[in-house]
Amino acid sequence: MTFRCRNVLVLAAALVAESSIASPPNQTALVPASDQAAGIASLWMAMLVGGCLIFVAVMLILALGLWRARRQEHRLSHLASRNLVIAAGVAVPLAVLIALVAGSLFLGNNISSRPPDGALHIEVIGWRWWWEIRYRDSQGELIATTANEIHVPVDRPVRLSLTSEDVIHSFWVPNLHGKTDLVPGQTNSSWFTARRAGTFHGQCAEFCGTQHALMGFRVIAQSAAEFETWLAQQAQPARRADSPMLRRGREAFVSAGCASCHVIRGVTPPALANAVKTDSKNPLSADVRSLSKARTAARDKPVPAPDLTHFGSRLTLAAGTRPNTAGHIGGWISDPQGIKPGVLMPPTMLEPGELTALIGYLQSLR
Amino acid sequence: MRERFVIDVGDFSRFNPGPQAPVWWGILGLVVIEATVIMAFIATYFYLRLMAPAWPPEGVEPPPLLLPSISVVLLLGSSMTMQWGSKCIENEQYNRFVVAMFTSVGLACTVLMLRWQQFQELGVPWDEHVYGSIVWTIMGFHFVHLISAAAGTLVVGILGIKRYFNPQQKIGVVVDTLYWNFVSLVWIPLYLVVYWVPRWL
Amino acid sequence: MSQVTANMPESASSAPSEQATAELNRTWASPAGFFGWFTHVNHRKIGFRFIMTSLVFFVLAGVLALLMRLQLITPENSLMGPELFNQLFTMHGTTMMFFFAVPIMEGLGIYLVPLMIGTRDMCFPRLNAFGYYVYLIAGIVLYLSLFLGMAPAAGWFAYVPLANDMFSPGKGMDIWTTMITFIELSALTAAVELIVTIFKQRAPGMSLDRMPLFVWAILVMSFMIVFAMPTVMVGSILLMLDRTLMTQFFVVASGGEPLLWQHLFWFFGHPEVYIIFVPALGVLSAIITTFTHKRLFGYTAMVLSLVAIGFVSFGLWVHHMFTTGLPHLGLSFFTGASAMIAIPSGVQIFCWIASLWGARIRFATPMLFVLGFFAVFVIGGLTGVMVASIPFDMQVHDTYFVVAHFHYVLIGGAVLPLFGGIYYWYPKATGRLMSERLGRWSFALIFIGLNATFFPMHQLGLEGMPRRVYTYLETMGWGNLNLFISLSAFVLALGFGLTFLNMWMSRSRGTPAGPNPWDADSLEWATDSPPANYNFRHIPVVRSGTPLWDDAIANERQFVSGLRNDRREVLVTTLVDAEPQAVVILPQPTIWPVLLAVAVSIGFIGTIFSPWGFWLGFFLSFWMIVGWLWPRRPWQEN
Repeated sequence: MTFRCRNVLVLAAALVAESSIASPPNQTALVPASDQAAGIASLWMAMLVGGCLIFVAVMLILALGLWRARRQEHRLSHLASRNLVIAAGVAVPLAVLIALVAGSLFLGNNISSRPPDGALHIEVIGWRWWWEIRYRDSQGELIATTANEIHVPVDRPVRLSLTSEDVIHSFWVPNLHGKTDLVPGQTNSSWFTARRAGTFHGQCAEFCGTQHALMGFRVIAQSAAEFETWLAQQAQPARRADSPMLRRGREAFVSAGCASCHVIRGVTPPALANAVKTDSKNPLSADVRSLSKARTAARDKPVPAPDLTHFGSRLTLAAGTRPNTAGHIGGWISDPQGIKPGVLMPPTMLEPGELTALIGYLQSLR
Repeated sequence: MRERFVIDVGDFSRFNPGPQAPVWWGILGLVVIEATVIMAFIATYFYLRLMAPAWPPEGVEPPPLLLPSISVVLLLGSSMTMQWGSKCIENEQYNRFVVAMFTSVGLACTVLMLRWQQFQELGVPWDEHVYGSIVWTIMGFHFVHLISAAAGTLVVGILGIKRYFNPQQKIGVVVDTLYWNFVSLVWIPLYLVVYWVPRWL
Repeated sequence: MSQVTANMPESASSAPSEQATAELNRTWASPAGFFGWFTHVNHRKIGFRFIMTSLVFFVLAGVLALLMRLQLITPENSLMGPELFNQLFTMHGTTMMFFFAVPIMEGLGIYLVPLMIGTRDMCFPRLNAFGYYVYLIAGIVLYLSLFLGMAPAAGWFAYVPLANDMFSPGKGMDIWTTMITFIELSALTAAVELIVTIFKQRAPGMSLDRMPLFVWAILVMSFMIVFAMPTVMVGSILLMLDRTLMTQFFVVASGGEPLLWQHLFWFFGHPEVYIIFVPALGVLSAIITTFTHKRLFGYTAMVLSLVAIGFVSFGLWVHHMFTTGLPHLGLSFFTGASAMIAIPSGVQIFCWIASLWGARIRFATPMLFVLGFFAVFVIGGLTGVMVASIPFDMQVHDTYFVVAHFHYVLIGGAVLPLFGGIYYWYPKATGRLMSERLGRWSFALIFIGLNATFFPMHQLGLEGMPRRVYTYLETMGWGNLNLFISLSAFVLALGFGLTFLNMWMSRSRGTPAGPNPWDADSLEWATDSPPANYNFRHIPVVRSGTPLWDDAIANERQFVSGLRNDRREVLVTTLVDAEPQAVVILPQPTIWPVLLAVAVSIGFIGTIFSPWGFWLGFFLSFWMIVGWLWPRRPWQEN
């Protein structure tokens, strides 16, 4: 028995050691980058140490008990048995559990309390299978809409309003915080304060259908100045197409049908996606209602897709699945099903020249 | 090893008309399961009500009270006729027993017809709002149970015509009555939930 | 109670006439032949079928798991697409929970409980058979849907709105909802039957405080089924109505509530885990008692712990919903309750340790599985307490950490004891012992394989790998651990395979076991191996909690006389003290249970295609029930 549990521990130690070298620390709960994730990581370390101690203790007691009978019987008396059960089976666990529950509730209270005033407000809307991100100012007015990429300033609390327009998703950036579900019909909230700059990976954590696996996004924590610059730029309408090539790309965007789902502010008429949305201060319930009505009819309609107004400024495409480079954009436009089977974006067949122009145009939208 | 008999059960009766028969406990188990199902439906009702901004939704009146209230009386009456039937079997009044069974079935059928009318009077279809969905489901669930209870009792009545039952051999009547009482009494909480909760709460 | 000791009609010590024994054997015989097979109602036949069928499902679900591990062996693997992978994990979870774990525990109960409490059959043998056919049909339909490529793909807990018709069109989810309702029906019939049998058919003298702990565990399991399964039936009926009749329970726009499904599902789903775990505790108690050759320490504490686990498990369901945005204060209660269930589990573990302490233990294969349980289950229990913490659960919920946790709990807490139980009771069912050599190899491979497979998953979860992903990008850095896990999974599978091989080979080659190969204490070891059709030649009278050992010390066995040999009579006793109360006559083998199961299936499967299917099934079933219950002539017989 001791041999076996030593094995387990050695394995555990080996794995912890191995993983800390092998994995990049940008989607892990073990390398926290915010107050919230740091609190949870400390709780985990405490529980890990405590858990190991308890495991070793139980195994030792068991091994000792088995060892006693090597030569002859050494049964415990009734009284000794009773004391063992009361001490090890009731008293010690009770004490440990009370400590754990108290600590956990204290931390949980901190995490779930209201964010401090002046927090940056970001709305996240889950779609199959991408993330719509909206920035609002302190009056609740919409500043900018983007997708699959969240920029936040370091050291400033960020308040997230989370909801979904179709099925349940879950918003998770392990380095910054635990997950919170995006449930249609209700708006959940969560907040964190990033403490160091960096690019962190997030991913949908609640199974949401075919492409759940590749529903990723990035959170970029940057200095306040960098962040303000970025946000101001995102608030602008799309860059004008000021060369024949870019104009050709823009025409391809409309004529190939991209515009029936995707929005480029200042270029395309409001697509179906934004036709049902309003920019009122509390737009969510109205959206959800209009979307879900006549659900069978809705099944065949085109669904909203990411806002591409500043597509060229993003790091990734296809919800964090590919780097945002010309080759990958072309591959994604012509064969999205090859990259993410089952994704709702249809393939688009374009003349090579047109495709090049479209890629160039999309990249120009910085 | 010495082996000996210490208990003889040869002279035990093989007719067991009450709780010593496992089937009585089995039907009790069925009743407990069904009651849990109904609890889950009622919990669902209150959960949906709790989450709704208005209950019933705007533009929907609480359903009218007359027919369901008559149903309560009729169902309680049918429980009594079932009870009377059991008494008749004990007193070997077999014709009266048959009358009791068929009266109960008749009362249940009346309730079923009233129920059909109640569905029309709910004033809300099942496929527009969650209020309609849960009300129709609860009422429909009870509707189906009434049909089963009535059909089962019809068979008991027919066996009664064939003179199958007697004071020893009456476990069928006992468990049928047990189930019947459950189906008729459970209407009272469902009635309160569906018809009075939208008025009171 | 008629105690006639002086002038008994026949003395048991004088060998009962062979003629009478043969008649009794004929009375309780199950008809031979292919068509005869469908008329069997005997509890050992049905229990055996439950066990074997669920082992088949265990293998099927295991193969699905291996396929998933093959897909995840490298990042961005193109072995299969998301549609198939999503079907595989949905089917894996559904099969393991509904078609393996619960039915095999019921099967074990159905097979063993009548033997352990000293009776000749369960109280409702035909209902037993009905429950089996319902289970079999549900499983076959579910797997047909997989082979036709239209299996459900919304996960084993089928969260709405994903599982609703708008996001899961096609028949897959309809099949899931109906078959889940169907399998619950089977579980409920088994539960009622086990409860009534345990309450009313114990051998005289086996008062509740003399009942083997395994029987207690089955009793607690059955009660949990009775109160837990109805809510998931209601949930799946509501989902079925949403999908077929366009009700609006889970449609947000019409006031529907996605979280209602989660409440209904987990109110069942959490007790479900304990429904699987509690009988395994009973198996452990039986094995430890036998192999230490002493009654367990703390019988009362063990029983109270079982009952406490049963109760508390109904107060934990919200800990599956910590990330859904419910208020923190409300969630705190569930943290407390989830942590508290560790106490009764701890009491059980230390009662066993106290019983093992200093005892001369035979380290036969069943005992190895028990020791394996301690190591694996303690780890699973510890991570279970960890995920009860709300902040920590927010990180690891729906990640591989949780996958690791529940596989530790379910394999460690249920499958290891179960396999120990297979080695332990196999000789009773077949008359032959399983090979110890193969058994040790099997145990070693299972133990190593399961730790190597599931331990690294803790790490993967903390490193950010969510569960239910059909692939992952190479840049995530999860490749090495996944490769290691996938390879280990095959070691685990080999370990299970060896036990199946062992079961197959020992059927004819195993050492003959005799009635009581382990020198165990409980009544099932008092009869032949395998038991004759009638289980017990005479119903035993029980005078202690370890009847076989105490009979041996007293050098006397006591029996009941007066049950007739020419029809299926069983003794009914009182609930608490098990005093003889009545004799009931059980039915003969019959075809009606199959017919009813088919009628109910027509109703359920028809409902997938048209609401009229329900009414068709309803009235067909009604006629089958009438046919089933219609009294056979002669009506009067005593």
